[in-house]
Amino acid sequence: MTDSIRQVFANRKLRDYATGYAFVIPALVMYVIFVVYPFFYTIYLSLTKWDGAKPVKEFVGFLNYERLFADPRLWSALSHNLIWIVLGTVTPVAIGLFLGVLLWRGLRGMVFFRTVYFLPVVLAPVAVGIIWKWMYNPQFGPINSTLRAVGLDVLAKGWLGDPYVALPALIFAGVWGYFGFCFVVIMAGLQNIDMEQIDAALVDGANGPQRLWYIIIPGLRHVLTMITAFTLILGVNVFDIIWITTRGGPGRATHVIATYTYNTAFRESYVGYGSALAIVMGTVSLVVSFIFISIRERGGD
Amino acid sequence: MESHVGASYQVARRPRRPARYWIARAVLYGVLILFALYVLVPFMWVIFTALKSNYEIAQDPLGLPPNWRFENLAQAWNQGKFSRYFINSVIVTVPIVLLVVSLSCLAGYGLARLKMPGRMLIFYFFLVGLMVPFTAIMIPLFYILRDIGVLGTYWAMILPQTAISLPFGIFFMRAFFSGLPYDLTDAAKIDGCNDFGVFRRVMLPLAGPAVAALVVFNFMGSWNAFLLPLIYLQSDKLRPVMTGMMFFTTRWGPDYSMSMAGTLIVMAPIMAVYLVFQRQFIQGLTAGAVRG
Repeated sequence: MTDSIRQVFANRKLRDYATGYAFVIPALVMYVIFVVYPFFYTIYLSLTKWDGAKPVKEFVGFLNYERLFADPRLWSALSHNLIWIVLGTVTPVAIGLFLGVLLWRGLRGMVFFRTVYFLPVVLAPVAVGIIWKWMYNPQFGPINSTLRAVGLDVLAKGWLGDPYVALPALIFAGVWGYFGFCFVVIMAGLQNIDMEQIDAALVDGANGPQRLWYIIIPGLRHVLTMITAFTLILGVNVFDIIWITTRGGPGRATHVIATYTYNTAFRESYVGYGSALAIVMGTVSLVVSFIFISIRERGGD
Repeated sequence: MESHVGASYQVARRPRRPARYWIARAVLYGVLILFALYVLVPFMWVIFTALKSNYEIAQDPLGLPPNWRFENLAQAWNQGKFSRYFINSVIVTVPIVLLVVSLSCLAGYGLARLKMPGRMLIFYFFLVGLMVPFTAIMIPLFYILRDIGVLGTYWAMILPQTAISLPFGIFFMRAFFSGLPYDLTDAAKIDGCNDFGVFRRVMLPLAGPAVAALVVFNFMGSWNAFLLPLIYLQSDKLRPVMTGMMFFTTRWGPDYSMSMAGTLIVMAPIMAVYLVFQRQFIQGLTAGAVRG
């Protein structure tokens, strides 16, 4: 009697488990075949010398990684990522915060401004790149045309052709396509700030910057951390807007780790070395994500 | 201090607006309009230039088109094979969105509400995928897709794009299903529903807004994807809009009016959809940052 009850119970439990797995397995199979397996495959390829066509992948151990450290092109690409991350994160978050604080108490025309600021966010990075490639066009681009029209011909230049200007110019385009995103997320965060605290601070005579520093920014801590992390990771992975405009040029002035990896693996067919670069990129991404997760955990949210 | 309080009460009761108020307002709107122009000027310029002839662009690159040449758009559409590119984009995007959303709902629900050994382990296993950038797997994926024989078909984009979108989808749907009350499932079970019945009849109908956000997020992700089709859909017959656009501008580079018309063709549909479904767009696209 008790035995049979126990057996029925056990079967029922097994059946429950089977149902659970049935929900999860389709996604798990896709994920393992097309994400997890390729990831380990990349590690394997990074230990070989291969051109993508030969039947034999020559195993070379850590040779590719030794070459990485001595590769000035890698370090220049990483330094461009760093510039992109710093300028491309601080600027849109600062603009988003600034506009958010201006608009958060509601204002006539608020919906209009929100619609406009978010407009470029729906565009593909490719479209953003193409638009700004034309904006920067040396002959007919509106930037140079305007400069010439107001007599500042000296400032007109081939913006994307000048190795010192090309990267900041692309970051400026990236900020154009992205600050609206930061603005909307920060606006959502501002809705959760306690108005009574602001009123109390007003009564106590706190000025604008003090209210911003002591009440608004602490209140937005969580949102600001999230959006910074999000933007940072975009900066590590940036590819589209650069490839569609300059392909890393002029020279190597706008190459970042993603364009360098793509170029090495698929255009120059150094699959082994390209895979080592891909592992570097994966590691950087992982470290950045990990740092942010630990900061968040420590923040006690 | 007391006099301060008194003063602010008085302002609240009888709003008298001094000159300072109006100056502050003017500065405020000035700043807001400045940023609006930063956004809008490039759009306006693309539209104006797309509707001029090359001669008119050279004559006056900044002004309004002297003749609004809408035929430029038709010409770019035909010569740029945009109908092909748009159809290709639809053919890959629809299955990707359907697959990502249905697999994420199933797995997200399973991981949130069903009992199974190793549930948290599986969840963390998926979460690691959020941190793996596409670049870290793009190289061997090319050879994997070649070896399973899908290179040269739409599946070469559908399969990997679906897989890389799953970790976020599952994370998002799991968070949503975890937040639903248990009373509902218990009631349905007493009425004789099995687990799948509970999922389909009770939970899924409640998930509307979350599913809508996930649809927008993944639609934009695969419609706008560039690197993935650049590597796996190299044949011109399969090219979606984004890489098609790249080849169009490369080919028509020196022809400004054609290039801008092509840019406008690519931009216009997505802008139109955005202006209609603004709220859903903003919710869907910021879902990743707000809840992630």
